[in-house]
Amino acid sequence: MELALLLQAGTTGEPSAIGVFRFFLGFFLIITLYSGFFGFTYWISKDE
Amino acid sequence: MPIGNLDVPIIGKNVVIAVLVQTHILFATFIIGAVLIAATSEYLGMVTKQSNYERFARNLTRFVVLLFASGAALAITFVLALVTLFPVFFSILQNIFFWVFLVEAFMFLGQIIIVYAWYNVWDKLAYRKSLHVVFGFIAGFFGLMAMTMIDAVASFMLTPAEVTSQADLVARSFLNQTMVPLNMHRFVGNFSYVGFLIAGWAGFRYLRTTREDDREYYDWMGHFGLLWGFGFLIMQPVIGYGYLKGIRESSPDSFNTIMLGDKSWVFNLLVLWIAVLSIASTAYFVHKLRFAIKPMETLRKLAVGALGFTALFTVLNIIPANASLVPQIGLVFGQGEDTQIPLGSMYPWKYIGLIGLMLTGFFILALYLRASATGFYWGRASRWSQFALMSCAVFVVLTMVTMGYTRETARRVDNNPGYLIHWCVTLDQQVVGEKCPTEPLANEAGQ
Repeated sequence: MELALLLQAGTTGEPSAIGVFRFFLGFFLIITLYSGFFGFTYWISKDE
Repeated sequence: MPIGNLDVPIIGKNVVIAVLVQTHILFATFIIGAVLIAATSEYLGMVTKQSNYERFARNLTRFVVLLFASGAALAITFVLALVTLFPVFFSILQNIFFWVFLVEAFMFLGQIIIVYAWYNVWDKLAYRKSLHVVFGFIAGFFGLMAMTMIDAVASFMLTPAEVTSQADLVARSFLNQTMVPLNMHRFVGNFSYVGFLIAGWAGFRYLRTTREDDREYYDWMGHFGLLWGFGFLIMQPVIGYGYLKGIRESSPDSFNTIMLGDKSWVFNLLVLWIAVLSIASTAYFVHKLRFAIKPMETLRKLAVGALGFTALFTVLNIIPANASLVPQIGLVFGQGEDTQIPLGSMYPWKYIGLIGLMLTGFFILALYLRASATGFYWGRASRWSQFALMSCAVFVVLTMVTMGYTRETARRVDNNPGYLIHWCVTLDQQVVGEKCPTEPLANEAGQ
């Protein structure tokens, strides 16, 4: 299999089980990083 | 490929970029929108002499100053990841957009300097407020220019223009077919996104605070945030339509994929989030009209009617066209694409839904602003109205993430191959295609 197809096998385009897993893992990480940074910024700013 | 191909275990390198960029954009958009809203609020405070505007502007600016580090750290990490994981692709982008990236970097620098100065001289310029407000708007301008530069790159990746000469390379690549509509879409989106977040935060603080003056302040802040959020949201269908029209004309396959094909579920998700935003906002407005200083019962009855129409139009938008809901995970019913769902087609039902949603939105906003002119009793809002604001904050983030995914996935039409730069650089970083703008560069170099 060509490299292009190999790379896409695990993505959301033609998802295998790992593609679906990565989709939700990506979403989880985005929300975690986002709320984490926002929460941290609030934490360092609230006592001022 | 001239150099080795790195991958990231478990998560995969595509998702690494997606996570870093999406998170960065959520912060970058917040900073651009928040700076402009804070500057406007400071200006309104100067003109109206109402202390809420000044308090809000100063607090928001301090938060932006502190948040800058997170947004910038994510940007640097993202560029590092891109250089490491997609070196060929990034080199080509740098080659085409060297000046654009350079201008963007200086705009970013300018924004940092002005925002920091703006916050730092808040007290020093207390008696020269007009001058101080200008700081905020200049910082906002720098932010918008940085956004414009990166929008040129992002839109080019989906709809690169055909380039036949070195002169074309800069002009036609920068002003590619979807650059202007994307930039307009994001310009308006900045305000809407930040407005909803402010409203959600105000709702959360309102429910937690025990001091009466704070309750009044956060009640006002929720109202102020939602005016920005909902006011700019209802402009988006027209601008979004313009953007999609640009995609349909310059890349019909991408349009079909995200609107009609296997990935049309992303748009169904999007309208679902917008439905929640619209209904929650309208319900909040209806509730708030009860606390108008001058009782406006007729206005409120009209607003209740508008809430009903909002619900009706959002339902029209949500109904999928056929029973193939999410084919990628097997969520297909009946005969799949052959099973048409009543009222689900784009024409006329989705158009009726979107136009109706906008008109109803303008109508209720006009009613609400009419009531705002005479003022509200602050600090009396119900708990559920604050939960409505908080749900807006959650769903606007989902809207942003969904829209980002939609634009990027539009380059994977049938996934054979998927592109990093449409028709030009494939996912495995092979340079292909006659339209690829690197060709004239290679020709000039005598290759």
